[in-house]
Amino acid sequence: MKRPVLVRRHRPLRGGQPLAFAVGLILALAVGAVLLMAADHEPLRVYQRMFEKSLGDQNAWSLTLNRAVPLGLAGLAVAVAGSMGLWNIGAEGQILAGAMGAAWVARIGGTWPGPMLLTGMLVGAVIGGGLLALVPAMARARIGVNEIITTLMLNEIALRLLQWLIHGPWKDPDSYNFPLTPLLPDQAHLPTLFGRAHFGVIIAGAVILVFGVAASRTAWGYELRVAGSSADTARYAGISLKRKILTVLLLSGGVAGLAGGVELSGTADRLTEGISNGFGYAGIIVAALALMRPSGVAAVALLFGAVQVGGQSIQIIGVPASVSTILQAFILFGAIGAGVFVRYSLRLVPMGVDASGEGEIAA
Amino acid sequence: MTEASMIGLLVATVAFGALLYLAALGELISEKAGVLNLGVEGMMAMGAVSAFMAAHQTGNPWIGLVVGVLAGALTGLLHGWFTVVLGAEQVVSGLSLTILGLGFAAYMGKNVVGRPPGAVLAPVDWGPLTDIPWAGPVLFGQAPFVYLAVLVGIASWFVLSRTRAGLALRAAGESASTADAAGHSVVGLRLCAVGIGGGLAGASGAYLTLTLTPQWAEGITAGRGWIAVALVIFGAWRPGRAAVGALLFGGLLALKTRLQTFGVDFSPILLSMLPYVSTIAVLIAISVRARNRPSPAPAALGTAYRREER
Repeated sequence: MKRPVLVRRHRPLRGGQPLAFAVGLILALAVGAVLLMAADHEPLRVYQRMFEKSLGDQNAWSLTLNRAVPLGLAGLAVAVAGSMGLWNIGAEGQILAGAMGAAWVARIGGTWPGPMLLTGMLVGAVIGGGLLALVPAMARARIGVNEIITTLMLNEIALRLLQWLIHGPWKDPDSYNFPLTPLLPDQAHLPTLFGRAHFGVIIAGAVILVFGVAASRTAWGYELRVAGSSADTARYAGISLKRKILTVLLLSGGVAGLAGGVELSGTADRLTEGISNGFGYAGIIVAALALMRPSGVAAVALLFGAVQVGGQSIQIIGVPASVSTILQAFILFGAIGAGVFVRYSLRLVPMGVDASGEGEIAA
Repeated sequence: MTEASMIGLLVATVAFGALLYLAALGELISEKAGVLNLGVEGMMAMGAVSAFMAAHQTGNPWIGLVVGVLAGALTGLLHGWFTVVLGAEQVVSGLSLTILGLGFAAYMGKNVVGRPPGAVLAPVDWGPLTDIPWAGPVLFGQAPFVYLAVLVGIASWFVLSRTRAGLALRAAGESASTADAAGHSVVGLRLCAVGIGGGLAGASGAYLTLTLTPQWAEGITAGRGWIAVALVIFGAWRPGRAAVGALLFGGLLALKTRLQTFGVDFSPILLSMLPYVSTIAVLIAISVRARNRPSPAPAALGTAYRREER
């Protein structure tokens, strides 16, 4: 009798992650096809429409790019924290907080000239997101409170704060009792690049680029990775862990907050409950698929943007948009499954033999 | 505030408390074995839609309940497969499970949205006991789910703290290599715990669509899965304390829709922040106290175990 055992490879398979990603994509499309057929839809026709409406022409690309902006910024927020071994599960709430911050600036600065108002809104968004991350950051840095649950709880808190604002003090008096704020002033909209694509694409691209360079080319990024891999080593090297944790989580919150501000000013026109649409949670998947690397975040965000835009386009032919949600989750699960074989190989070991020695030699 | 409305509040407190408690017990068992599952919301949604559809098809609410539990367990085992067997990050897999569960449930249930229920699980008839003032309606006027929650709560306390199986399960969550060395299968124990956890989340979802709001709509779980996650921490990973927390949080859910009738001028939306705010406060309190005494959290929570790398 033999039993299967996963043994760690000497080094991860080269080019393994893109490969795992491709496997995830294929698996997701296969599962999606089965689901579509079960509901009497033609998978090929649905997928073709999804592709055409998300990547088929310039207009489609502009929609996909717009969608990739909040996904990429949220993914970057998670990745920045993740590169230090921290989990920011609170991107969803920080996006809402960012949108609230930007909306607040738009409320008080409704008569300001465009550039000043837009800058103010984006700054307000970063501060809003950062503020929401403040408690988890302080609690983690000072007394070691696990940031996973605190950031998660703050998602729900931020959502309720937003609901309260749009049901109460910030509600549009002319909204016929719908919970939403008045439309933003005209000059509060980000300029258009082409098609529907707005200036947020450039902002997101620039922010991701800056963090990408900072993470891989600066001492700051290096210290981050050291602190992430071993707290002891970091302390020995004289890196202040507390300060690193605090700045990284606040930065992470600020980047997610920026996503909320850009979304508000770029595509939403007004503050509503659905302003985030789950971007924060999707951002965690994006960051995980990108292995917490900024460059990867941009690529994965584009793909997820396309899947989401495609998912919306199939509603017209009677297919629920939830198909795209299912596809996104299965891309991740497929990639996780395949990713294991990037780092491990499957061996058949005779029963009763312990494979632990082999693993240690290999590692 | 009339007596009737006060009794109504207490009845709803127990009902909502049981809803949260079922899901929280599932998460507690899973976390005790070392597996953080942030997919509660997704498992609940899967349980809710499956239970509703099964009851709709068969006209039998009990079949609905069984199908809801199985759907939750299967959804949970997906998380188990990826995190326990393949060693994937528990946080990422759990959140993806929430996304997947919500999406899948929406897709499955698209044809039964707003349909009348095929069958509901009505309150148990306790005969004369129901006529006792106050205690009658509050304790004996409840749906079977409430008694199920109490039974599962007592059973989890007993199994976790008084049996060898419970000890083995806790060992898998405190120190997996020790459990392994003692001859237990860590993978088996953890899969079992995640499966049971999923089943209980499924039962909680079934409670929603078979009794509390007997219909299916997208987003029916409305963030209650996150409260269940919070409850585990609020209850310091103990079934008994979690029951107290469930009644408190259940009371808040019940109060939310009644503030106006009680003449209280406070936003129900702000009130519904309390479970999350208090959970953060409890977490901070635990960490402050942890300087003197050990944290109640399972030591190996959130970490994968590979025998080959111990």
